[in-house]
Amino acid sequence: MPSVVTANDLRSGLVVYLGPEARWVRDLADALVAKAPADLATLEAQALSAVAKTEVTAVYAMDVNIVSGIPEPVSVRERIRAAHAPSV
Amino acid sequence: MYRYDEFDRQFVAERAAQFRGQVARRLAGALTEEQFKPLRLQNGLYLQLHAYMLRIAIPYGVLSARQMRQLAFIARKWDRNFGHFTTRQNIQFNWTRLEDAPDILDALAEVDMHAIQTSGNCIRNVTADPYAGVAIDEIEDPRVWAEVLRQWSTIHPEFSFLPRKFKIAVTGAAEDRAAILFHDIGLKIVKGAKGATGFSVFVGGGQGRTPYVAQEIKSFLPKEQLLSYLEAIIRVYNLHGRRDNIYKARIKILLNAIGADEFRRQVEAEWSNLDRPSIDLPADELARIQAYFKPATLKKAPAQEPAITARRRADVAFDRWLRRNVMPHRVPGHAIVNISLKEPGKVPGDASADQMDVVARLAERFGHDEIRVTYQQNLVLPNVAVADLTQVYDALVAGGLATANTELVTDIIACPGLDYCNLANARSIGIAQEIAKRFAEPAKAEEIGPLRLNISGCINACGHHHAGNIGILGVDKKGTEHYQITLGGSPKDDASIGDIIGPSFTAEALPDAIETIVATYLARRRDASETFHTAYHRLGKAPFRTALYGADAPRLRNEVLEDADV
Repeated sequence: MPSVVTANDLRSGLVVYLGPEARWVRDLADALVAKAPADLATLEAQALSAVAKTEVTAVYAMDVNIVSGIPEPVSVRERIRAAHAPSV
Repeated sequence: MYRYDEFDRQFVAERAAQFRGQVARRLAGALTEEQFKPLRLQNGLYLQLHAYMLRIAIPYGVLSARQMRQLAFIARKWDRNFGHFTTRQNIQFNWTRLEDAPDILDALAEVDMHAIQTSGNCIRNVTADPYAGVAIDEIEDPRVWAEVLRQWSTIHPEFSFLPRKFKIAVTGAAEDRAAILFHDIGLKIVKGAKGATGFSVFVGGGQGRTPYVAQEIKSFLPKEQLLSYLEAIIRVYNLHGRRDNIYKARIKILLNAIGADEFRRQVEAEWSNLDRPSIDLPADELARIQAYFKPATLKKAPAQEPAITARRRADVAFDRWLRRNVMPHRVPGHAIVNISLKEPGKVPGDASADQMDVVARLAERFGHDEIRVTYQQNLVLPNVAVADLTQVYDALVAGGLATANTELVTDIIACPGLDYCNLANARSIGIAQEIAKRFAEPAKAEEIGPLRLNISGCINACGHHHAGNIGILGVDKKGTEHYQITLGGSPKDDASIGDIIGPSFTAEALPDAIETIVATYLARRRDASETFHTAYHRLGKAPFRTALYGADAPRLRNEVLEDADV
């Protein structure tokens, strides 16, 4: 399954995703999608480097579905995180 | 209420300064997250789903107007204009930035507040009866002892790294309004021989994955020996509590593994070896603390006011509010006013900054500067003159705070659930809102009568679902939120843990299921005086199961709690 790498911004705590050029983006649509294990390993290495540089914390990979070329969260939890707001 | 002295102020200010240094080192990369996490948790700062969450201690649920106003200020300046009152009488801000946390702790310290003992494996913020000091059924004011316990337990060197968190609740009244039997230690002030007062001591209550009702291990403890006896209990726990399994680490597991008799024996043995005079509070220190809790000077007045009576006749909503939310006070001519944070359709327990200001103003003008937070996520003005009730009511209406539903089906306890919480399996808030809407018609809710409906978004049970007359537990079944219903729980003197009624429901089906349960109760109750809880224990599960699942109701495997991915 395709996946992206997510984290919380260290300073604000806000949800972020790993995007192009090792930059952290707020919108899941802008995240880099790993379609193969090797791609994911590259993203995870970049993420760990960002942890070491105190940019982000709580890093992990999450599954996504690709819908019309855009990554969408699979789980309810990740849908709520990606919305950056509670569902109520 | 208790006022900080110089020592208290210096301690809290130093803690805030210490945390500022820790945050600076974290941001500079001198501390890893692994190193920093226990430090931030010791200051109430969690990392949740969307952001950091700051949990602020409200010792035994007591706030002054100035403190409430400061919480409103924090909500506006550093959060999103609201706060969430919790089932431990605390408040949480859901959108805290790590960078701002030191400034927030400074702002709290300015009004003698902090976030100590709101997380970690320590003795947590002590909770108490929200009607303490004013209830008509009270023997003695439990706030005095809650404050004694606060001072004793704060950064207690021996009890700062217990096997697991440790919660204490105190009541001094006949009716349990603090759910003491669902705490690690529940204390009830009782009368002993020759009119002496002491504590009945209950141990080993709790909810979560393995719920237990606390058991009495001492029927009468002379109150002046409270600290040494509690020290003995927690020593036994600290020594023998399990540290190998987080799910078996609470004192309830230890007590139930060895039995209450053996636990009592060990506590008594430990207690007899302690140097009690060096632990128990000297009489002059107790007197010093007691003096802070002198009752407000209230003039006795007639219990009935002609203007109130006239308004009651003319205004159905005011009449209902008086009936539901206003309770008798120990001084005639005064009343306890419950402020509901449960308007149907709103988030249970949330208050906006503007609403906090409304409550602060009312407390100053009409409430002798005192506010209480209840574990049911509501607020209380404990000292209001009956003559002022119309003015208080009108101000509450204007602030969206006059929902007349205390103890009714819409007075729902709900944890933040999957909308905010990192541990949750399912959403709680939306479910609470949908159910509340079904019973939003005030006359309908009143006809149903007292009914505790509690919702937790996971088995950790922050929403007290085990103790709800109707309990709802959110579970994740193969990626879909489901909700399991328990019936027959109670948080009061008849404390009990709800029975699982059957297989879980989807979010869409759940509100109908709750309506079916309530309809079954209404159809089968003896009369309007038989509460849901009493009727359930008379009728048993069968009629509710049949109503929900049909005559061939499916059985859950061993009727066990459903957990994630069952």
